[in-house]
Amino acid sequence: MIHKFSVRSAGVAEPDIRELGRSWELDDLEVWRDYYVEFEGAPDPAALTDVAAVLGDQLDVEVSVDQPLEPGAVQVAYKRGVVDNESDSIITVCGLLGVKARAGKVATTYRSESPKLRDLVVSTRFNATIEEVHDAEPQYDTLVPQGHYEPAAQHDLRGLDDAALAELGVAGGRNLSLAQMKHVQHVQVTLGDEYVTDVLLEALDARWSDHCAHTTWKSLGSLLGRLVQAAKDVDNSNVLSMFHDNAGVWDFYDGHAIAIKAETHNGPSAISGYFGQLTKLGGVLRDILGTGLSADPIGSFEYTAVGEPEAPAPIAGRPDARRLAGETIRAIKEYGNTFGVPMMSSRMTFHPAYRAKPFALGGSIGLLPVSAAQRGTPRPGDFVVLIGGLTGNEGIHGASASSAGATMDTAAVQIGAPLEQVKFRKALIELREEGCMSALTDVGGAGLNSAVGEIGEACGVWINTALVPLKTAALPMWRILLSESQERMLLAVPPEHQERARKILDKHMVRSTVIGRFADTGRYHVFHAPDLTEEALIASAPDTVPAHQGETGFDVAYDLLDIEVERVEVGAPPRPSGVPEWPSLAPAELAGLLEQVVSDAEVASQHYADSQYDSTVQGNTFYGPHYGTAQPVRTAYWAGTPVAGSPAAAVLNTAFNPWMFDADPVAATRQMFCSAIAGQVLAGVAVHDICMCDNFYTPHLSENWREWLVGMVDELAALVRHFGVPLISGKDSSAGSVHTDEGLVSVPPAVFLTALGKVPHHDDLLREQWTAPDNVLVRIGLSTSSPVGTVAARKLDLPGGALDDLALSDVDGYLAALAAHRNLFRSGARIGSGGVAGVLAQGVLASGTGVRLESATTESLFAEHRVGAVVEVAQSDVGKLPAELNPVVLGTLVPGAGIQLDGTDLFTPAARDGWLNSFTARIA
Amino acid sequence: MKPTVNVLYLPGTNCQEETVKAFAAAGATPRLRFAADLLSGAERLDDADILCIPGGFSFGDHLGAGAVAGALLRSHLADQFEACRTRPLIGICNGFQIAVRGGCFGKVGLKVNSSGTFRNDEHVRHVVEEDNDSPWLTGLAGQTLEFPCAHGEGRFHPDAEGAAYRVALRYEKESNPDGSFDNIAGITSLDGLSFGLMDHPERAVDREVRLAFFENGVRAAR
Repeated sequence: MIHKFSVRSAGVAEPDIRELGRSWELDDLEVWRDYYVEFEGAPDPAALTDVAAVLGDQLDVEVSVDQPLEPGAVQVAYKRGVVDNESDSIITVCGLLGVKARAGKVATTYRSESPKLRDLVVSTRFNATIEEVHDAEPQYDTLVPQGHYEPAAQHDLRGLDDAALAELGVAGGRNLSLAQMKHVQHVQVTLGDEYVTDVLLEALDARWSDHCAHTTWKSLGSLLGRLVQAAKDVDNSNVLSMFHDNAGVWDFYDGHAIAIKAETHNGPSAISGYFGQLTKLGGVLRDILGTGLSADPIGSFEYTAVGEPEAPAPIAGRPDARRLAGETIRAIKEYGNTFGVPMMSSRMTFHPAYRAKPFALGGSIGLLPVSAAQRGTPRPGDFVVLIGGLTGNEGIHGASASSAGATMDTAAVQIGAPLEQVKFRKALIELREEGCMSALTDVGGAGLNSAVGEIGEACGVWINTALVPLKTAALPMWRILLSESQERMLLAVPPEHQERARKILDKHMVRSTVIGRFADTGRYHVFHAPDLTEEALIASAPDTVPAHQGETGFDVAYDLLDIEVERVEVGAPPRPSGVPEWPSLAPAELAGLLEQVVSDAEVASQHYADSQYDSTVQGNTFYGPHYGTAQPVRTAYWAGTPVAGSPAAAVLNTAFNPWMFDADPVAATRQMFCSAIAGQVLAGVAVHDICMCDNFYTPHLSENWREWLVGMVDELAALVRHFGVPLISGKDSSAGSVHTDEGLVSVPPAVFLTALGKVPHHDDLLREQWTAPDNVLVRIGLSTSSPVGTVAARKLDLPGGALDDLALSDVDGYLAALAAHRNLFRSGARIGSGGVAGVLAQGVLASGTGVRLESATTESLFAEHRVGAVVEVAQSDVGKLPAELNPVVLGTLVPGAGIQLDGTDLFTPAARDGWLNSFTARIA
Repeated sequence: MKPTVNVLYLPGTNCQEETVKAFAAAGATPRLRFAADLLSGAERLDDADILCIPGGFSFGDHLGAGAVAGALLRSHLADQFEACRTRPLIGICNGFQIAVRGGCFGKVGLKVNSSGTFRNDEHVRHVVEEDNDSPWLTGLAGQTLEFPCAHGEGRFHPDAEGAAYRVALRYEKESNPDGSFDNIAGITSLDGLSFGLMDHPERAVDREVRLAFFENGVRAAR
């Protein structure tokens, strides 16, 4: 029986509701939280009262029971196929109260007398992908998503011609090419089977997808192999693991190591900023958990690029950039804060090329012992143990109704469930410490199929999909295998540790199920046998598949699952030429330009977003993500001290500027790489102690996209070899072109770089806050004076052209001088977007100190010398700065809080206001 | 013999490690108490000198921050929790929300921040109340302590009748991050044994600030 409990704050509405009412101009807005609970049988009235008491257990909260939706009210609820995260907690509370519940569901009801209410709700608080709108009380017969088992479809490919094979390859939402279908035909013939099943077709469709197999990169000549080979050639002794695990692993100090990984969820984030960004952060945290024999996340970072907030979405029905921005912040806040990992760096960019498909990048670093840094290897006989959340009919082929049928509840996306992941986070560390796992991996894209298929490849594996715990009543075998339900991990547990592992997982309240075994067969074997119970499986002999009455999805040797990718040859990309000149501006005009530049989202405070992300949880944040005694300003790097009792610090910074990649992706790659290294060295890290993580996001339909991609990869490989700074982790997304209502929209070919460094003592780190009046500010570093790609050039509407070409020998000289003379610096800030002017403005805001410039031009203020810094030096030390630093005196720190030039304060009140509020004004 | 501290570890708790470190550095022997073990009877909540309910998002903040944990304390663990309240008890952030729901401070509420959303600030300044003789505050009266704030539902709101608390901390003027009534950042029970605050001293970079409350609690339990 289903009962409804409706909750809201009595009296004055809560601030978030008042704010919503203000923004909708509805003074009488009420928002109710509706909890539907499906009890087992009919609960007695006292039990309903008890549940209501828990829900109303807050000051000034009112609860009504079984109150139907009033006329005029609008309710937004998840579709039945979308399982609410709170369902488990509702069941738990009912259990604590001694009443049994089967499922729960949460909905939100909006009430107002205004006729505008429905339109406002639908346009701003409703996502048709996963939700439904109710104008009258919904009638639920059950809250459990419905589904049923279907026997595997059988296809005899032996006699099929090309047309029939091609048709079957794309049937039901699959994306298998003719060449791939011919390989499946070959598999069938080799096996000598009468048919292949849809389970095999679906499994191979996922295995051979670009997401899993990186076919685009392979087709262009083993691009990943080029980066890996470069890193191997460098032979940096800090590398413990690179590119063959869920994250790269970098040696830290005293037997500890740090894992690093970043990945993107661009496609899902275009459909729903909220759900895409939730799973982005959840997914990358799970990558860290699944690295080696499990690392514990100690920091996260995120970057999001969307279109201009004022522009409409280029595809009707899709969320616009403003909504994506708001949903992004909500998602990052909810997942990261709940998981309990400090936000190291977050940034949002507004760039028109990302209006169709945003750049949604999430990253994390994690701590683990060196002894657990290597990817584990399952042994034959180990149990396949699935832990974490339930498996639902989620994320499969976009969960189209046509492929699911009318009697199967589906969900295009799953709501990220951080609670599940928090629960198994510490359980995994305990399992690792107790030696209970021989290997593990996360369950992410392509679901169990990818996880089981990959981890089993070391020896062989079989699983019984009937043992997989489901959210739904039942599911066909292939859907269980392909479900992209998040918050699940797959463990290889030796039989002798199975009982201990179960106890640890139970203690952490983590759901776990033995679903199969690793085997000494070299085969990937999937079957569905309801008659083979978990208990029988555990009790069975380790070297044979127990007898069962189920049906086989497939049983194929791994070496039959590999497929060659056709090679495409490309030439060199066309490089731009010509550099536009900076205009000459008078002081008043410089002040005007400064206001525009510091108000640009690339420079302006994003405090509205940052202040919603927990940056201090775990208590190890030493520096960043903000500094400033007068005003919080974003730091150029983050440092944390993750090992208890140790002063050693991990240092993280990033480098990305899409406007530079617009101009010349290869030159931009070089500048960004050098900028990240220079930032690390400025902070105090030795070049040898820096590694990087790369995240390519490139188009696949724009002109010369292949040439640019290959050019960037080769440039990156050359940079790795030159500096000895290896890439140890990365990911490629090659689907950055989208057909929209406006035509084709493509992102620029680009790579986001994240640098991870280490120092033995945090006292060695250089801070950004100015320390004392009369000290001198000096620009150091390489000159990259081209206006191309700068914020100021966009404000001045300067024409395009080439980026500066950096000579790597000059970079070497600068880095060596930087490391040797850091003792002369009282503070130092890396130059980035906004150039010297951006550094000065933020320095003034952070320290409450002013600066008097000796002179200034448009170029000296606004050129973005990205492999450079503004350092604070005592007057007596200015002469000690060597020529290799290329020092240029800017001015002197003075009492007050302005940027003085010839008696004019360039940093006007309007500029300060723009820096502080412009970002918020555009998205909030 | 070092005083013992039971640190309640619920599904969704995420500040247990820094809290354990702080108590250990303050001279106590902290140990985690898992909800599953408490429910099964394998362990007890009240077998230590101090109870600490650390921060996090217990049960995902589902059904309201601290709601499920509060129900747990008031149902299966009611007797043990009552026993804990006769000794030093500290609730931090989500732990404060749970302690409020557990009835430690009478009718008071912790509501959605006045900004309507989560608020993170690395450097919030708190002034220790002069006339509260709680053992958690010994020797700190009038001092200003800077430590991080990170919460979404911390706006303190007492009921006109039925509240049973004493002010322990106030946000420094102009720095109230959540809109709490009268700038109240932390409270104690009337007997001073239970102490609740939304912000996180266990995360402070300054060691002295980080340990101030914990050392007092441990001293009181010796």
